[in-house]
Parts: sequence; structure tokens; C-alpha cells
Amino acid sequence: MSSSPILEAVGVHKTYHLGQTSVPALRGVDLVVARGDFVVVVGPSGSGKTTLFNLLGTLDEPDAGRIVFDGTPLASLRESERARLRRRQFGFVFQSFNLVPVLSARENVEYPLWIDGVPAADRARRVAQALESVGLGHRMEHRPDHLSGGERQRVSLARALVHDPVVVLADEPTANLDSKTGRAIVDLLARLSVERGTTFLLATHDPAIVEHAQRTVQLSDGQITADVRR
Amino acid sequence: MKLAAIALRNLARNRRRTVLSLLVIASGTAALLLTAGFVRFSFSGLEDAIIRGGLGHFEVVLEDEAALASTQRAALPRLADWQAVRAAIEAAPQVRAAGGVIQLSGVVGLGDRSSAFLALAVEPDRERRMGFDVKLREGEDLPGEPPAEGADRVLLGLGLARAIGARAGDAVTLMVVTPDGMLNAVDMTVCGLFTSGLQDLDLRLIKLHLASAQRLAETEGVSSIVVGLADGAALEPARAELLRRLSGRNPRLALLDWRSRAPFYGQVRSLYSGIFWFLGGIVFLLVCLSNSSALLMAMMERVREIGTLLALGTSRAGIGALFLSEALWLGLLGALAGDALGLALARVLNALRIEMPPPPGAVSGFPLQLELAPQDFLLATCLMLAVMAVSALLPILRATRLRIVDALGHV
Repeated sequence: MSSSPILEAVGVHKTYHLGQTSVPALRGVDLVVARGDFVVVVGPSGSGKTTLFNLLGTLDEPDAGRIVFDGTPLASLRESERARLRRRQFGFVFQSFNLVPVLSARENVEYPLWIDGVPAADRARRVAQALESVGLGHRMEHRPDHLSGGERQRVSLARALVHDPVVVLADEPTANLDSKTGRAIVDLLARLSVERGTTFLLATHDPAIVEHAQRTVQLSDGQITADVRR
Repeated sequence: MKLAAIALRNLARNRRRTVLSLLVIASGTAALLLTAGFVRFSFSGLEDAIIRGGLGHFEVVLEDEAALASTQRAALPRLADWQAVRAAIEAAPQVRAAGGVIQLSGVVGLGDRSSAFLALAVEPDRERRMGFDVKLREGEDLPGEPPAEGADRVLLGLGLARAIGARAGDAVTLMVVTPDGMLNAVDMTVCGLFTSGLQDLDLRLIKLHLASAQRLAETEGVSSIVVGLADGAALEPARAELLRRLSGRNPRLALLDWRSRAPFYGQVRSLYSGIFWFLGGIVFLLVCLSNSSALLMAMMERVREIGTLLALGTSRAGIGALFLSEALWLGLLGALAGDALGLALARVLNALRIEMPPPPGAVSGFPLQLELAPQDFLLATCLMLAVMAVSALLPILRATRLRIVDALGHV
């Protein structure tokens, strides 16, 4: 496993403005994530986990500081280039699964490949592999409303991995699942991390996830207060 | 996976709203089709009335008289050797028949009552071959053969007959100024009363045989030769053929088509076209406003989903294309339903043969017959697709300008 940095946050600040009120979400965050890391970011609600993930995943831009992906400062990229980066290099797992309701499990997983122009035959093969890898090979044609919460999150995970991203950002992936299902998802994430060598960043409150972490970053009031490696 | 299929599935999410949108589009399409059918009916009816009313498809005149109105030519039937010209014209394969015409003005009297007239002298047998119709209201039509001297016949316009108290069978005296400036009068028998379809014209118009008019005006020439085609739609090939046959003649001849001789038709066409596009504009606006609101609502319900698609790397143009596809599906399906509805309504209305009131200045009404052409369906469908593309502009602008993090946090 390489230890070269894939993602870096340098002096990152982000403040939200709600009317007259300013709410600082991140206050000078410095973070270096190595290729292949399994990093868990923990912290209470409002500590800035989601904001940090949004910035690392190019979904938002910092007010100050810089984010660097594989040596490229994200601020130097145009919007279309950031979209292409997300399409090819990032995978996202959302707390509420965020599946497209009119698409089947197969089509949801196929979507990132489709928008990237991957040929249909290649798409079909990779989608089948991704869904098999999360144990949903038999539920491919079901739409999200016919899947359980755990199944939906597994579809979401397959969607995040189907295009072989360099980094997967999973924001509270077990928050909407019962503890048993959540543990199964965490085990799956850990297994896939080892099998694929993909870099995983997970934001969570869940102690079960922390157990799997090579590295735990503690975020509090928009600042990193601890960074522990095992 | 196809964009169009995803768009179609999105439309099925809220079936009630989609059905309402389709109803609005279908109603708009049907309204446009019915209006187009009425306008087309009006145009073709007017065209038919003008051509079959005596104008024919073409008129051959002396070139130096081509710029003059027919009433200015009336006193000067200068086209000599017209039988040879007529024979050359009738030899053209596109021509059904051609007939000499003289236009005269003068005074008609019965007993102590008299009135000014405008006379149209024609060859009735050739007019019948050209399909021209005389709307007889009393008596019978002019004889086909040239009447012998002393046996001249005349048809009087209804208003003119009423003004001098004439009926079919009465003897009237027609008096004109001849080309050399002398007064000449001929007694003729009223064989029938007719209407031109226009009240004002009926107060002055009479019809008589060309031979009678030539005797009355003491001339052997005609004012012009009217040409009737076998197929009125093939005006241009016929024009080319006739010009070829008429070229090189001395004196030089000119060929005038019916449109250039009936500016009234152009004015009516402009007016009706204006009304059609005005109504089309209103339909466009109503459908646009209604559907823009529905599409915007559909977009607002999917803000979080749009955020997800953007986060996954969908381009903003891709998001716009998705909403445009949905709008175009609505437009296409609604327009097709509207096409079917419009066709069905047109058939029902035609079957009912609803009697329309007489147009301004006309004598009688007419049964409503909507004429729909394939291009009307194509035009209405394209217009609805354009309406929906415009309707989708605001939702597309809103969707493509969303900040990803705001959209993902949308509840």
C-alpha cells in the first residue's frame, strides 16, 4: 500500500452565513490522507465533518486554505473539471442513500459509468460485479422503494465503487441503519478497502466503525483535536 | 440506460400532474388544429369562389393593358384575332378550356325604369367546361351557342332586377357607348336572375353571351381571355407552358394569374393569418405558463436528487438535458393526443354541417367544413414542442444553478 498523499487539506476555513449570523464550520483544518488509507472522522453533530467531506469531495469550496487532490489544487479546476474528477476519482456514500427512485438497483449503480460514457457491455459487466460484491446480485432489478435500508445502502456503496474510484467519501453511512445492518455495512467497507486498496474516508458517530479504522481523526468545533493511527 | 427513458419515468412519478399537463397541451393543440382547419377552409372556399366565379386561373390580356384594372379595360375590347389565341391556349394539355370575355358598362332599362350596369360577356359553354358556376335564383342560364341576332339573352343580378322590376322572360334594353363613341342599344330577353354572392355587385352586374356583347358594342374583339386549368394546384407548370405558347405574338400578350387579379384574396389571407397567429400566440402563452409552473414544481420536488446527480459527476448541461427531455416528452405526448382530439372534433363538426352566417357583404351563409392538412398536424406538434422547450427554461435554469451542498441538504 502506497503512503503517498492523495488528499490534502491545508489551513482550510469555511464559514456559513445564516442571515446576520456567521457560523464557522471549519477553522484551519490541516489533514493529509495517504493513498489506501481507511480514515474515520469522528466528532459530535456540528463539529464540521460533513463540511470537511464536502470540501474534500469538491462539492463545495473553502473560504480560505486549499484542498489538493493527487498534487492538483482543486481551486485551479473549472467546474466541468471538478465534475469529471468526481465522476472518475471519487465515490460518494450518503447518509440517506440518495438513490434515484425511478432507477433500479442495477441502473443506480450503472449511472456513474453511463454519464462517463463507458460502453454498455463494459457497464453491464462492472455493474454485475459491483452488485455481487455487496451481495445484491439477486436484487438488481428492484427499485429503491422495494429494498430495505441496508440493501439501499449496499446499492449506494456499489454505486460509489463501480467506477473504481481513488477515494470513497462516506458521510455517516450507518446513521439510518439498525446496529446489525450498520455493522454488516462497516464490515463490507473494511473488506472492500482491503480488497481494492481504495482510500476510504468515513464520517461517523458509530464506535463500531472506529474499531475498523487504521486512523481516527477527531473533529471538534471545526478543528482537528486528535489524529490517531493504529 | 437512456436519457429519454429516465425522463419518461420521471413523468410517471406524479401521474395526476402529468395528466393535467397533457390535457392542457392536448387542448391547446386541438384548438390550434381547429383554427387552422377553419382558416384553410376559408382560404380554399374563397379561392374556389374567386376562380369559379368567373376569374379563372389565368387571364390573357394585351401587354399594354396588363397593368390596368379590368374595369379600365371594359370600354376597349381591343384583343383582335382572339380565336387563334384561344385555340393556342386550349391546345395546352393543362388547360381545360378558355373563353373570350368582354367587360362593358352602360344602362339597362325596363319600361320607365333604368339602372347603370356592369356587364360580363362570356362564352357560356366554355365557362361550363371550366367549371364556373352561375348561382341562378330564377329562370335559366345563358344558352351555350351564340344567339342569333334578335334572340339575345341576358342574366340580371338580383339587386339590379329588383331595382328595375325585371323578372325572367321580360324584355329589357341595354345601351352602351361603342368604341368609336356612338350610342348603341339592343333589346334582350331576361333569361334568368342570378347572384354573384356579393350584395353590392348584384345591384349592378349582368351577364350575357359574348356574341350579344360584341353586337351591342359593335366590336369583334374581346377584353381578355379567361383560362381554366384541369388542376388548379399546378399553376406554375401551366404558366410556363402558356407563356411558351403565347410568346412571339404581335401584339404582345401578358398572362395574369388569379391571385394578381384578386387582391381581395391576399387581404383576406393576411387578415386570417394574422388572426390564426394571434390565437396561436395566446395558446402558446397559456400552455407555456401552465406547464412552466408544473415543471418548476416537479423540479423543486427533486432538488435533493439533482444535488446527488451533480455530486456523482453529472454535468449541469446533463441536468438541463434531463428536464428538457421531460418537457419534450410532455409536449410530444400531449400534442399527439391533441392531434387525435382535433381530428375527431373536426370530423364531428363537419358531420354536423353547422350553418355559418353570411360573411360581410355576402348573400348567403355556408356550412362549416374544417379542412385539416397533414402539415397542420406537423405544425401544431412542432409548436407544442417549442412551447414545452420554452416552458422548461425556468426550471432548467433553476436546476442547473443549484449549489450541490445546498441541494443535498434540501428537505
